[in-house]
Amino acid sequence: MATSNKTLTPLYEASTQFKNWRHSSEDLAKIRSSLNSAAVAVIRQTLEAYEPGSSLAVSFLTPDEELLLVRLYISKISQLCGFFRFPEEVEATAVSYLKRFYLKNTVMDWHPKNVMLTALFLATKTTNNPISLEAYTDNIPKTAPSDVLELEFLVAQSLGFEFAVWHAHRALWGIWLDLQTVPTAPPDRALLESEKYDAAHRHLRNSRLSDAELIYTPSQIALASLSLASPELAAEWAEFKFPLGSPSLSRLQSIVASIKTLIQSSSQPVDVEAVRAVDLRLKLCKNPEKVVGSKAYLAKKAEEERKAEEKRNRKATDVQQAIAEGDLFGDELTRGLAVDDDDDDD
Amino acid sequence: MDAVEKANAERQKQWAKDQKVGEGTYAVVYRGREASTGRKVAIKKIKVGQFKDGLDMSAIREVKYLRELKHQNIIELLDVFSSKTNLNLVLEFLDSDLEMIIKDRALVFLPADIKSWMAMTFRGLEFCHRNWILHRDLKPNNLLIASDGQLKIADFGLAREFGDPGYKMTCQVITRWYRPPELLFGSRYYSSAVDIWSVGCIFAELMLRTPYLAGESDMDQLKTIFRALGTPTEQDWPGHTKLPDYVPIGQFPKTPLRDLFTAASADTLNLLSQCLVYEPRKRIAAKDALSHSYFFAHPYPSHPSKLPKCAAQLTAALPLEELDGNTLSGKTNRLKRKLTSPPDETKTRSAVARRLDFTKPTPGS
Repeated sequence: MATSNKTLTPLYEASTQFKNWRHSSEDLAKIRSSLNSAAVAVIRQTLEAYEPGSSLAVSFLTPDEELLLVRLYISKISQLCGFFRFPEEVEATAVSYLKRFYLKNTVMDWHPKNVMLTALFLATKTTNNPISLEAYTDNIPKTAPSDVLELEFLVAQSLGFEFAVWHAHRALWGIWLDLQTVPTAPPDRALLESEKYDAAHRHLRNSRLSDAELIYTPSQIALASLSLASPELAAEWAEFKFPLGSPSLSRLQSIVASIKTLIQSSSQPVDVEAVRAVDLRLKLCKNPEKVVGSKAYLAKKAEEERKAEEKRNRKATDVQQAIAEGDLFGDELTRGLAVDDDDDDD
Repeated sequence: MDAVEKANAERQKQWAKDQKVGEGTYAVVYRGREASTGRKVAIKKIKVGQFKDGLDMSAIREVKYLRELKHQNIIELLDVFSSKTNLNLVLEFLDSDLEMIIKDRALVFLPADIKSWMAMTFRGLEFCHRNWILHRDLKPNNLLIASDGQLKIADFGLAREFGDPGYKMTCQVITRWYRPPELLFGSRYYSSAVDIWSVGCIFAELMLRTPYLAGESDMDQLKTIFRALGTPTEQDWPGHTKLPDYVPIGQFPKTPLRDLFTAASADTLNLLSQCLVYEPRKRIAAKDALSHSYFFAHPYPSHPSKLPKCAAQLTAALPLEELDGNTLSGKTNRLKRKLTSPPDETKTRSAVARRLDFTKPTPGS
């Protein structure tokens, strides 16, 4: 058979995560700063259009401030998941969604609170742990079902409809299972050294607050978390997998070292006061076209309505004309007219 | 407009919808094409607005798995975009399915043809299972056939991941006639073996040209299975009497498969029986099935391009001007969450089809 002759690609390398969601840290910084400056330019222009001079006093958020706010909402995901008793997979998936969302959007356009709620709700469904929207929003203060639904498409689009996420906690579990079967494993390791696994798992949870998953593979993050909990166990596993002195082992060690730094620097709790200050400023600098009821918002809606009206009229004229020409059922296709995309109401 | 919305609009523009080919309660399927190349595609428009919980689970599953799975024997998801309150899946265009082919009395299947379809089914399924994905709805009308004869597994609306011990799964999956006994007995922990049972049923159906185990209700399904394969003993299937919904069904003797499948080779019956083993852990895996002696014995599998095709499939390759009259009527409403055009509209035109030369590949197909 033709396919069996080819070398099989590792499963992970065939994933959309491997293909589309890995960046260098420089890359990440670049993406965030260009999103930030593009948003600032648009918002400035909108503000000026409605009240000339009004944008001068506005202090826009920096990319780092945006990130700080996102980080706060990542930590809120954990709290909500604890409350709803969602499995870890839901939590980890929602965190990945939120991070990926802000590689395509900025907090000045979309406040992370509702995006977070939508990302989490979407994650319950994509991981096969669905709950009804009512049961979800009823348990979250000041949240209506529409807050979640309105953003669902936007979140799904931002994710490129790529819902599958490979998680580091699964990799850590795999490493832990390996460690129980390596030749050097003492009997009853699962029992005697379980607190090391638990400690590694805590580090891994901290890694979710960092950019680690956007840069490194799940198993690299898992190994780094283990290494923070027990360098000996991590070394034992690595030596079992790679021959001593092999170039891949030393490369792995340097990767693990950088992930450890990343995890440690993100394990400090978020400074709530600093975030509150950012959030206050965000109220003044967010995109007015997205503030329901504002002049800019109303103007944008009116423009959209005008375009829709125009389209409806055009459609009506086309039909009239077709009837007039007597070819209502005739050569529509040969003329190359496509079916209308917006026939929602059929 | 936001960058994300703009990107979505750009994608939408790349695909043109032509005629509607089917409509169901939750989706409409269009025949369409890629604007830049003219390549034929199927566009499945899922109406999301009507769901109070937003994007529904089967749409999410389909998108999630098809986004990841790229294989010759799995339907390709080319693109996804949204329009207003609809989700649109752009899928490769496939003009028929195995059910249509099985039902087409004008077609004769050689053992080599059946072997070819089985090989392609197992290849696609092995790829799903290798990726830790259960399909959970294998049946002939979810095995679609491309114009070059390649078989593609479609409809991942019930698919899910597996391999995590201790996670309960629902037993309300797989269309009844293709559902394995462990699910009928209410098992909530199961494996890739459930899909293998379905493939076994499809294998038998290809030989019989009629569904092999067609029960009238869930209870009758078990009876039908046991009547065909004998009531399992504790030795055949240890522990099955402890399954949640176990009920004694009655004692039926084992009859050799040979009695029903009189013309089949020993290899054929061996592989079939290994797909239909009661004990799920002993049922053959897709990977092992691919190296079963059946696939290496004479006659070798037919080349996909030489497989029997429905008349509908032949006319589907025609340019539209060749078809007379109202081909665009919306009368064909028998959409069972499937992606191909129903045969009805074109079947009557097979007379036209036969007069034309189909040996040349059509551009864009």
